[in-house]
Amino acid sequence: MIKVLKEGLFTTIQDIGRFGYKNIGVPVSGSMDQTSAKLANLLLGNDESSAVLEMTLVGPTLEFMNDTYISITGADMNPSLNKQKVLQNKPLFVNKGDILYLSHSSNGMRSYLGIKGGFNSEKKLGSKSFYRGITKREKLIKNDKIKFSKVTSSTMKMNKSINDFKINRKNKINVFKGPEFDLLDSNSKDIIFNTDFTIGINNRMGYNLVEPIENSISSIISSPVMPGTVQLTPSGRLIILCRDCQTSGGYPRVLQLDKSSMDSLSQKTIGETIKLKLV
Amino acid sequence: MKKNNIFFKVFNEESILIQWNDKVSIKLIDSIISYKNLIEKELKEALIECVQSINSMMVIYNPNKINSKDLINILKKLSTSGFIVTKTKKKIWSIPVCYDISFGIDLKDLSTLNNISIDEIISLHSSTTYNVLSMGFLPGFLYLGMNHKKLYCERKDKPELNIKSGSIGIARDQSGIYPQDSPGGWRIIGRSPISFFNVDDKSPCFAEPGDKIKFQSISLSDFNKIEKNRSSYDIKYKLL
Repeated sequence: MIKVLKEGLFTTIQDIGRFGYKNIGVPVSGSMDQTSAKLANLLLGNDESSAVLEMTLVGPTLEFMNDTYISITGADMNPSLNKQKVLQNKPLFVNKGDILYLSHSSNGMRSYLGIKGGFNSEKKLGSKSFYRGITKREKLIKNDKIKFSKVTSSTMKMNKSINDFKINRKNKINVFKGPEFDLLDSNSKDIIFNTDFTIGINNRMGYNLVEPIENSISSIISSPVMPGTVQLTPSGRLIILCRDCQTSGGYPRVLQLDKSSMDSLSQKTIGETIKLKLV
Repeated sequence: MKKNNIFFKVFNEESILIQWNDKVSIKLIDSIISYKNLIEKELKEALIECVQSINSMMVIYNPNKINSKDLINILKKLSTSGFIVTKTKKKIWSIPVCYDISFGIDLKDLSTLNNISIDEIISLHSSTTYNVLSMGFLPGFLYLGMNHKKLYCERKDKPELNIKSGSIGIARDQSGIYPQDSPGGWRIIGRSPISFFNVDDKSPCFAEPGDKIKFQSISLSDFNKIEKNRSSYDIKYKLL
């Protein structure tokens, strides 16, 4: 078990997501940066769908109640174990009673903590990913206890550290044309691909982009959207939908991010800029 | 489904969007649902899920099992296979609603806006048989059509920050039920005391697209009685 001593800014349990329930309005959820979450599992020899902790901007302080192996990937939150600095992107052995500190992220937005065998938290509709109204919790709070499997000798298969792995910090975001793209006038299209867009308010539901564009498209009949769908609001603001986004929406869907660009976007914080590029 | 009214578009690396240019109708929704059932039967493990909507459908697939080109060909073939719209008996659900103004926070505004009495709003809303058009927005949120034309209204300019679970809202020609506390912009005309989404149930939501719903006006004291025992309340339905 892990005990949460300090919860951090927004710490959740995530896996690859919840599939098969979009039809009843349940979002897919899952780790925002799927590449980093998969790496955390890969390092420990876990199944890539194992549940990890997603930590946002300011990480938690965690006490281990049992011996186990962990891995830390994604944004650099300057991790330390019992006040001794530890490395990311490699398996780490932790003893019962050890305390892991994660502080402010110096590079990126989201860090991931993998644990040998994955976290054994409640599974709802096929997934352990936190989501309000589906799981009991929408984020971890102080004194929460999270279960994980005991390490046995047969589960000791591990991968070496991956030293050259860096989270993707490029500002180029690849997009496909969305279903309503062709309704944009040529001037708006030009602006979309020639503007350095500033990241505005953002969370697991979506990223707002600050710079407005002219919007001549009216609302559409409520239609399916996906993580990565870029909606154009009536005020001309672009919103990039993320893993916890609703399953349908009435704003024009002008663009769609490719999957690896979703991972890079999820490491961006407010004030950073991105450039949209058609693929 | 007319062949030239259906469009297939690659949406991203793992989904195809199917769009119909037909007029929105219950007939269209029924045929989208039958088409969805056929796709689920034919594609099996290559399919992750089909998300039905009012005039479109998202087909999410496993790119390790099939590529988009082959999938579109299969989808096209299935759409022209002349499949029969399943004629199962439709469920018509009876949903108790208390239209007291303490719950229907926008009743007064709507009455002024549409120049219609509150009594008439309630009588029109509770005498209409609604169709479940689609689900989305929140887990278990039902999009219901169509409101009587005298109830037509735009969403509120400024969404409410906390609409209570069970609230019944209207916007444009649709009604909707908020299955959980949520921000929202629909005009709230009443509240139901029952629970609309139970994550631990085998089917977390009682209804599905294609079903019908009728609202039954109840008193404040009935609301309180039902709410006290909401976990054991069985939503009643008839077969049409």
